[in-house]
Amino acid sequence: MLKKIVLYIGFLVTGLQVCGQETRLEMSAPNAVSAGDQFRLTFNINQKGENLTLPDLSNFDVLMGPSYSSSTSIQIINGKTSQSSEYSYTYILRAKQEGTFNIRPGSIEVNGKIYQSNSLTIQVVKGQPQTQASQQSGQQAEDENADIQSATVSHSEMFIRLELSKQQVFKGQQIIATVKLYANPNMPLAGFEEVNLPTYEGFYTQDIDIPQQINFKREVYHDKIYQVGVLKKTVIFPQQTGAITIKPFSITVLVQQRVRQRSFFDDFFAGVQTARAKLTSDPVTVSVRDLPSPPAGFSGGVGDFKLTSELSQNEVTTNDAVTLKLNISGTGNIRLIQSPKLNLAGDFEVYDPNATDNVKATDGGLSGTKTIEYLFQPRYEGTYKIPSIQFVWFNPSTGQYQNQSTQEYELKVLKGTGNQSAEVIRSVRKQDVQLIGQDIRFINQDEISLKSKGYSFYGSPLFWLVYLLGSVAFAVFFVVYRKKLAENANIALVRNKKANRVARKHLKTAAVYLSKQQSEAFYDSVLKAFWGYLSDKLSIPVADLKRETAIEGLEARNVEPGLIQEFLSILDQCEFIRFAPAGGNVAMQEMYDKAEGVISKMEKQIKR
Amino acid sequence: MKRYIFLVLILFSRNLQAADLKAVMEQANKAYTSQDFSKARELYEQILGAGKESAILYFNLGNACFKQNDHIKAILYYERAKRLAPQNEDIDFNLKIANQFVVDNIEQLPRPFFSRWWGNLADHSSADGWAKSSMLFFILFLVLLGSYFFSRSLRIRKLAFYASVFAGAVVVISFLLAARQYNCIKDRSSALIQCPRVTVKSAPSSTGTDLFLIHEGLKVKITDQLEKWREIELADGNKGWVTDSCLVRI
Repeated sequence: MLKKIVLYIGFLVTGLQVCGQETRLEMSAPNAVSAGDQFRLTFNINQKGENLTLPDLSNFDVLMGPSYSSSTSIQIINGKTSQSSEYSYTYILRAKQEGTFNIRPGSIEVNGKIYQSNSLTIQVVKGQPQTQASQQSGQQAEDENADIQSATVSHSEMFIRLELSKQQVFKGQQIIATVKLYANPNMPLAGFEEVNLPTYEGFYTQDIDIPQQINFKREVYHDKIYQVGVLKKTVIFPQQTGAITIKPFSITVLVQQRVRQRSFFDDFFAGVQTARAKLTSDPVTVSVRDLPSPPAGFSGGVGDFKLTSELSQNEVTTNDAVTLKLNISGTGNIRLIQSPKLNLAGDFEVYDPNATDNVKATDGGLSGTKTIEYLFQPRYEGTYKIPSIQFVWFNPSTGQYQNQSTQEYELKVLKGTGNQSAEVIRSVRKQDVQLIGQDIRFINQDEISLKSKGYSFYGSPLFWLVYLLGSVAFAVFFVVYRKKLAENANIALVRNKKANRVARKHLKTAAVYLSKQQSEAFYDSVLKAFWGYLSDKLSIPVADLKRETAIEGLEARNVEPGLIQEFLSILDQCEFIRFAPAGGNVAMQEMYDKAEGVISKMEKQIKR
Repeated sequence: MKRYIFLVLILFSRNLQAADLKAVMEQANKAYTSQDFSKARELYEQILGAGKESAILYFNLGNACFKQNDHIKAILYYERAKRLAPQNEDIDFNLKIANQFVVDNIEQLPRPFFSRWWGNLADHSSADGWAKSSMLFFILFLVLLGSYFFSRSLRIRKLAFYASVFAGAVVVISFLLAARQYNCIKDRSSALIQCPRVTVKSAPSSTGTDLFLIHEGLKVKITDQLEKWREIELADGNKGWVTDSCLVRI
């Protein structure tokens, strides 16, 4: 049961498939005819239809039609059945007058629905002279030298031509060059030999892919109908300026010719033979204008372009590679575009940009994209600005330079783990300071000290005077100071030597006062003797001499502490008695002896 | 208007005071800065005309001449500036640039190394600079000698002795360098060729054999003279005779 249902569904599906096919009504006719000639107008449809409505054909005579034919094909591939049907209606028409006529779409009714065909344009040219005649004459000439099998074909019969899309261009602007073979529609062509296609000297070329099989189409050229085959299509870019001539090129075409039978016994099938016809084109000249003076950063691009850019990452770690991708798309000489410059700060290690292009040559010219990848590595962390890249190209359609810039990117660089310092040292690149111009240095604007011409401090009287005065002053100073020094040394020595004597002199006067019983004068003399003695011995002026300085001086000269104590007691006693006179003769005598003893002891102990 | 009054003032006052000359100098510098080179040159030459000179004055005047494309005069003034201030690096630089306009390319004869070293050392200062340093070191030398003789401390005496020996050496050397620089200034034997083209003769007469051809701006040395003829020596050692009118002494 289930199987049956599946089977029904299967049938239904196939039925649907047939129904699902799109219904198309197609109208076809040659696109060029000569007035008075017959031609066919055919409607093809893949479904059975009815009520074919013809478009307005008032410009043509309908000679015959419609003649109806149909074909059906059924294909079974791996159990799958497909069916296709073709129904055609053919009319034979004749053009009444010259001109270009538009045939509006025809329509047909299929299953109650009306389908419309395409429209057509037919060019009608003046009636051709009977080409048969000229062919005949050619053949007659042919008969004489049929052995070499070469044919001469008049230029109006068959020729080759290089067709250029433009002949006034800018340098670098693309031109589409088409090599076309024109032949009389009645001339049977068998093939080609020795095809020498043009060498586009002075051009950069890019071939356009065309089908291998040459497809002949009717075309009107100089008011005549030809069958035209496109042999080659090329996009060419002039690389020089001035008038560039594309040299003539040649091709040998094999033509089938009917040979008149020389006798009844000739081979019946040898009536057709192949002949070679060598065709040579005319030279073509292209006038190329130079581009106006290019602005800075001109990339060499000529055409119509668009620029997009993309940064691979916005946040990286140091020494990670970052790629800035630049996409140039459009039509023009994409392959010849130089990579625009990316001006990065010195904190990046920048590699040479890598450019790849994906270009397709079509009838519209060379178009595609060029991708330029700028690879660089940041060395230090921080936030950097990737500057915008300016792309400048020339637009031949406006005759002006255009430019477009990419956006600025912000790149955040985090500190990486790699050995940074080693990396940096390796990649430090030094660049010489570029000298742009040379000029003298600016004037010196310092305060100047003018002097008389020829004057020089060296050799001037002042100069010599300094030496002279210096020497004299030194000599005087030397002599005077030396003398004074010698004197000073003598005074100290003499005083030292005389100290004992002077002290004893004072003691003697003390002895006189002792005998006279004048106690005050006596003690005064004793004190004088001591202070005078110490002043001379210790080289201390009397005015500066005090108890403390005296003790210091004595200690510095290694006098025994006991003696110093004795000296101090005498000093104390003398001063005490001076202000409080007491005691008698005995005490005075005792003091005198004591003082004499201390002085003689000191004399021994004070070393010079 | 102001400018003309100024010029008239300068023309009529022959004996300008130093302060006036300084004002002229300032005016000239201002003119140079505002690109009025001919006026600047005029003013600088006024100062020279007053019998005064200075390395800076010659340098600035040379610059003004250079800017007026009078390269030969510029070289002359730079050379004069260099004699007064051989240590100034700016003068050397500008002289080098001005010398690029001299046609002749003469290769210098190499000098022995001691002569070169002595010259390089001397060129660190001018004659007056060396004279002053010699003087100062002489005074220092006397002071040190005095302290050697009269100091009581043995250490100070020792130190003063060696220092005074050093100071004495400096005095002698800088004196000799001053003498050398002074002789360089006084030596008027250097000259520039001022004729566009001169044929150097083998003898002091116009019939002498033509030896070689030199062009204006070349620095030569005058080694002998006979009437109006001067024997010159090029830096490469070539000698010959030219007339006095083609030479201008530096």
